[in-house]
Amino acid sequence: MRLTALLSMAAKAAFPHDYRYGTSRPWTIAAQRLNPPGKKRRKVFVEPIANEDWHVLRGDTVEILSGKDKGKQGKVAQVFRRRNWVILEGLNTHYRYIGRSGDYRGTYIASEAPLLLKDVTLIDPTDRKPTDIEWRYTEEGERVRVSVRTGRIIPKPVYQRKDGIIPQQWKDGPKDTSPEDTLQTTYTPSLKTLEEEVMEKMNIQEDRRPRKSYWY
Amino acid sequence: MAAAVASRLTAAICRQFQRVVTVSSHTQPQYATQALSKFHSCQPRQMYDSWWFRSSMNNRALHTSCVRKGLEEFFDLPENWGEQTVKSGAPWTAKQLRVKSNEDLHKLWYVLLKEKNMLLTSEQEAKRQRLPMPSPERLKKVERSMKRLDTVVKEREDALRLLQTGQEKGRPGEWRRNVFGKTFWYRFREHPIPWYLNSRYKRRRFFEPSHVAPYTRLSLEKYLRSKIRKEKRDKRNQKRFAAMFPKKTALA
Repeated sequence: MRLTALLSMAAKAAFPHDYRYGTSRPWTIAAQRLNPPGKKRRKVFVEPIANEDWHVLRGDTVEILSGKDKGKQGKVAQVFRRRNWVILEGLNTHYRYIGRSGDYRGTYIASEAPLLLKDVTLIDPTDRKPTDIEWRYTEEGERVRVSVRTGRIIPKPVYQRKDGIIPQQWKDGPKDTSPEDTLQTTYTPSLKTLEEEVMEKMNIQEDRRPRKSYWY
Repeated sequence: MAAAVASRLTAAICRQFQRVVTVSSHTQPQYATQALSKFHSCQPRQMYDSWWFRSSMNNRALHTSCVRKGLEEFFDLPENWGEQTVKSGAPWTAKQLRVKSNEDLHKLWYVLLKEKNMLLTSEQEAKRQRLPMPSPERLKKVERSMKRLDTVVKEREDALRLLQTGQEKGRPGEWRRNVFGKTFWYRFREHPIPWYLNSRYKRRRFFEPSHVAPYTRLSLEKYLRSKIRKEKRDKRNQKRFAAMFPKKTALA
């Protein structure tokens, strides 16, 4: 048990407590350039928002409240929880050259800058106006986002998975278990341990008695 | 270029597989006869006759189940050889595993283990050929499924033990003080002899000598000070953050 715990510790990426998270993933060269091992960067204060209070999800349509593209609505492409950032598709962009080598200056592309959570609001889908959001419970007990102004429920956005799989169109492979077999209940609670039950089913008779051992 | 790379991997794997198959097929009878002759040469006594060695009750089969596949279980299905990506479904969740019987979980564990072995073989072969492994996320899915299965089995064991004995932990242990004055949870180990006959265990010191007591006191003071400092820091930061991030609604 100790060895597996050690291995899992090594497998999980460890960051210093004052690591500055940026828009690139920590294992990329750009992030390593921004945060070289010995460098201490100026501390950036992030408002602590609990996991339950976070209301902007990937795929949501939000409106920008301040900045260059104030008043524009866009879809959320990426969410950075560590810095309370949200990146919208094609909004709040600055332009830069990418892929330059030698004399070639590279392609001129628009790259989006992240927006803080307090600078965006969700949009009521019915009247397409920005609203404040609260988390409330429906009569069934489901936790949903409700717009404070109109009282309408804002549904969870449908966003394509990163691996491109659409759950409704999935066809099982030869090694996959069908949904009916997966959900079929075969468990009957009993006072037998797994080992005893399996031994019974496989007709293994263990007549040997364990030798007396001392635990200390 | 991708096709060439893919065909190289296929050829490499096929070659490997064929080699493995041919090697196993003609060394097996050799091994059996060697074992028999060795057995005969080192057992001059007449009561260990050859019929004793070959009779069914003294020869346990390697498998207890009916399926008897060979080494091809270490490799993927032939139609996946050479593919750059192999389609795989979602991993088993703990919720789905909790409704399965113990026998089903037992069987699933070995199915997952064999799949893991196959994926690890494929990973190692890809490393050897210096090519990317096709769909490495399958390995993560299998490991997560196995971990969740283990969790479910542990939950059932814990529940049964709590019901029947009231013990919270499966392995006995107790709080002990080591030679450096630190209190820690000492997990018991299984021994064939009692502790008063175990000379190595008697040499272990589970008490702090008298000259270590001042250091224990100092480390306790250090811990208390750091706790108070943390509480003060949290309170101070709370005030600071309240000033930095005033609570207001996003819209007017």
